[in-house]
Amino acid sequence: MTMSHAVISCLHANLAACEAVLADIDQQGIDTITCLGDLVGYGPQPNEVIELVRERSIPTCQGCWDEDIIDGLNACECSYPSQLAERRGHRAHHWAAERITEDNKVFLASLPMTLRRDRLLFVHGSPNSQHEYLLPDMSAFAALERVETAGAETLFCGHTHQPYVRELSEGSIRVSVQTNGNHNDSEQAMTLPMRRIINAGSVGEPRHGSTKATYVVHDDDSGAVSVVKWSTTSPKPVKPSLRRDYPRCSPGV
Amino acid sequence: MERWALVSGLRGDLDLYEQIQSDLQKRRGTAHLFILGDMIGPHPKCDALLKRLCQPKRGDLHPHCIYGWLEEQLLSLYGYRGEAKADELQLQSDDSGVQQLRQAVDTEHLNWLASLQFGLIELDCGLIHGSSADVGDELQETTSPLILLDRLTRLDVNRLFTARSGRQFRLQLTGGQIRSRVKDHASEQLHEQPVPKRSVIGVGSGANYTLYDPASDHIEFLSVASRSGPSNRIKGFQR
Repeated sequence: MTMSHAVISCLHANLAACEAVLADIDQQGIDTITCLGDLVGYGPQPNEVIELVRERSIPTCQGCWDEDIIDGLNACECSYPSQLAERRGHRAHHWAAERITEDNKVFLASLPMTLRRDRLLFVHGSPNSQHEYLLPDMSAFAALERVETAGAETLFCGHTHQPYVRELSEGSIRVSVQTNGNHNDSEQAMTLPMRRIINAGSVGEPRHGSTKATYVVHDDDSGAVSVVKWSTTSPKPVKPSLRRDYPRCSPGV
Repeated sequence: MERWALVSGLRGDLDLYEQIQSDLQKRRGTAHLFILGDMIGPHPKCDALLKRLCQPKRGDLHPHCIYGWLEEQLLSLYGYRGEAKADELQLQSDDSGVQQLRQAVDTEHLNWLASLQFGLIELDCGLIHGSSADVGDELQETTSPLILLDRLTRLDVNRLFTARSGRQFRLQLTGGQIRSRVKDHASEQLHEQPVPKRSVIGVGSGANYTLYDPASDHIEFLSVASRSGPSNRIKGFQR
């Protein structure tokens, strides 16, 4: 029997999507779940999502939105793709900041930046920061540096809302070194280790081209990464009672 | 094209700065002087050096300064860096060392120090005290090439001039590659990325400085005989 665990990220106060994804994970008999943060922001039910994560005792990293709610707007220095997206983000922030209970804010403030299990590292953005985007097309060397410097073999991240699995392998770097007082350049070569980055995408606000929530299942025993899985259940629309004063900034609203 | 002189780690030593200026005047064809941080230090002539940097004497090569690790620590002590509190300096030095740094720099210089840039981009070169990751980043010839390549990539420059380690070196990335396989919801892509031909140059510190000719890409590591007394050899400030 293999030991699989699930990784979820970017829940964004979308309770319906969270419940659907957790049900899907439960159905597979997976009882180890790790969350990569951003429990709040955008969606209409931040307290309910935080409480669901707390009730189920899901180990969770702090996301940039979680930090933003604690430390104030723009604590998150992430760039928005457009001015419209920025206005939407600011409205969502103010709305959520007013409604999240003090107890839940204390919980968000207590979340760690990273979680580690053996050679698996779990972060929201990158090991350096909750705000750094590890996009699938970033320099392969820079991507490898993030994993290697953190002392991990597999790095799980979110933040981009676009799920992917990236394998970095067969790398090497040759260098020539000249130092003061030594006129002969020395040549050196470094063989780079194979490393993986697994982006879990987003449960609450997918941006991969459809509204289906995404998460990842990873096999602990073999170390192999299974294909990113999409929940077969689309998030349910938010109840009309929740729409009353809610800014139009979430899918499903 | 005329050469650049790259200096760092003067640590308040005005005499040393004058020696370097004098040395540069003898070497014709040097048009730009870049001072890559650590101008300040627990030295009795520190204020005089800062005044000279702000108001160069006639005949001085005009200095272009950026801030370094010591300036970052001092500015933290005075609350210019938010909640940061110069913890690294406290760790490396002690209370007396911190006090000596405070005493060496008149507060009238703080606004000027706070106005300095983290780094400069000239042509395709990044000029920085530590690295593009952190002002305290100590890059040297033994640093992992993967990290050096990352620091170059962050600034997207072909040459990164760094001073923090105090070492004089040039490390050129000459070859290699990496394979990247990305699988997402739509496709699977395999990509071979070659190592770009880029360099990291350690410019040295104090009496050791570097000349660079952008036209020929020639580097020359130089040194002036230091006349520094024991006054700047204080625990935590040696390099």
